[in-house]
Amino acid sequence: MHHAYIDKFAYQDSPIHRLDARVKFVITVVFTAVVISLPRTTVSILFCYAVGPFVVLVMGGIPLRFVLKHILYVSPFVLVLALTSPWYDRTAATIIFGPWIWHTTVGWMRCWSILGKFVVTMLALIALISTTRFANLLAGLQQLGVPRLLVIQMGFLYRYIFLLIDSAHHILRARAARSAGGVAFGRGAKFAAAMVGSLFVRSIDTAEHINSAMQARGFDGNWRTINRLQVRVVDYVFVAIAVSFILGLYLFVKPLLG
Amino acid sequence: MVKAIEVENFSYKYPDGTIALNGVTLDVEYGERLALIGPNGAGKSTLLLAITGFVRGTGRVVIDGMGITNGNLKKVRSRIGCCLENPEDQLFMPTLFDDVAFGPLNMGLDSQQVKQRVNLALAEVGLAGMAERAPHHLSAGQKRAAAIATVLSMSPKIITLDEPDGSLDPRNRDNLVKLLAGLSQTLVIATCNMDFAAAVSDKAAVIDGGRVIAAGPAEQIMSDSKLMTSHGLEVPRKFINGYSAA
Repeated sequence: MHHAYIDKFAYQDSPIHRLDARVKFVITVVFTAVVISLPRTTVSILFCYAVGPFVVLVMGGIPLRFVLKHILYVSPFVLVLALTSPWYDRTAATIIFGPWIWHTTVGWMRCWSILGKFVVTMLALIALISTTRFANLLAGLQQLGVPRLLVIQMGFLYRYIFLLIDSAHHILRARAARSAGGVAFGRGAKFAAAMVGSLFVRSIDTAEHINSAMQARGFDGNWRTINRLQVRVVDYVFVAIAVSFILGLYLFVKPLLG
Repeated sequence: MVKAIEVENFSYKYPDGTIALNGVTLDVEYGERLALIGPNGAGKSTLLLAITGFVRGTGRVVIDGMGITNGNLKKVRSRIGCCLENPEDQLFMPTLFDDVAFGPLNMGLDSQQVKQRVNLALAEVGLAGMAERAPHHLSAGQKRAAAIATVLSMSPKIITLDEPDGSLDPRNRDNLVKLLAGLSQTLVIATCNMDFAAAVSDKAAVIDGGRVIAAGPAEQIMSDSKLMTSHGLEVPRKFINGYSAA
């Protein structure tokens, strides 16, 4: 297993890590919804909103390099959307940020707004994932009323995605070991199809074994768990600070920045 | 007198018609540690599946005095725990706690009892204090021990283990031998590793071609070099005359 990096910081200990998973999840959802609902041409306020998740990441001891790397991983999808905006709307516009003034177009403002919202919401999401154990997050989602079947599916996905990635790595390594000098495109495509098929069959096999393991331990179709989450005073304090920050920026700072 | 496991003239065919088990008859007394030994494809794993009610063929399988039927499967499985060959299949929950608690919760125990059983089971396999770890963060030896804990927490009378020593290094294998030696349950262990079988069992059954070829005291069976070699096995070092572990 060489890729536990997906959740490696979730097992650290910090005041942020110790917060209740439900609280962190709800605050992240509210924060994301507010940031996304900001006007499409609003850019300056996004810098202020970025402070929130940034502080959480620093307090949680999450290296910023790790955060930036993961933002870059998913950025291509958003980049396509953002970079096409300047072509659609070339109306002249002015950005004022403190003493600085830029003359640009609405399209470019939208582009920066999309990128800014993406970065800020990704910061919040990474802060949530990196400071919350996935098991606690699943338990929290279940407590918050997310359908049990969906929570179970996510649990299995989290548990077995690592094994699936491992299997794919092994197959790719086996191919590399026997393909000196590279492989032609046609054969490469054929191999990719065979690999997907092999992984599919292995997944079915694993699912059957897991089903046996569950039945052997008395599973009868009813998923039973113990709730071990607990909301403490510090969680209420965190909610108060987070809500004040999110609403304060929205109600008082945004009108000033325009 | 009731025995832990009674298998009488049991036969099973795979859906493609291949005979996996052919008239198997085998008894295991309470507290015995039976090693099912045989070459690859002999039918050891299938016999374990038959004992735990996962494959149903012709003949009789009686566990703790109960013949396996569709109606009593849940009751049978509360008395016989099974550890699958691959611990990754056994550990399917996001944390070790949830995995070890899975069985007791399905038995209808309250949360206090479940927590108590989880802590006891983890302590018994040497994983105390690791309840919140995710299974993919455990080593191969720890995964094997955790898989056994998932069964121990249900307090079964009998435990079956399919190739429990697979992919373990010598140190982890020694730890597993010590762990199994400390268990009070009736054990049925399928393995191809003769040294391991000799270390953990007091009774052995040689299986080949879906049949029980011989069964008896472990030393008597495993020191019979003619019997062992004729079925693709070897005499464990422990039973080789003049061999000294030192």
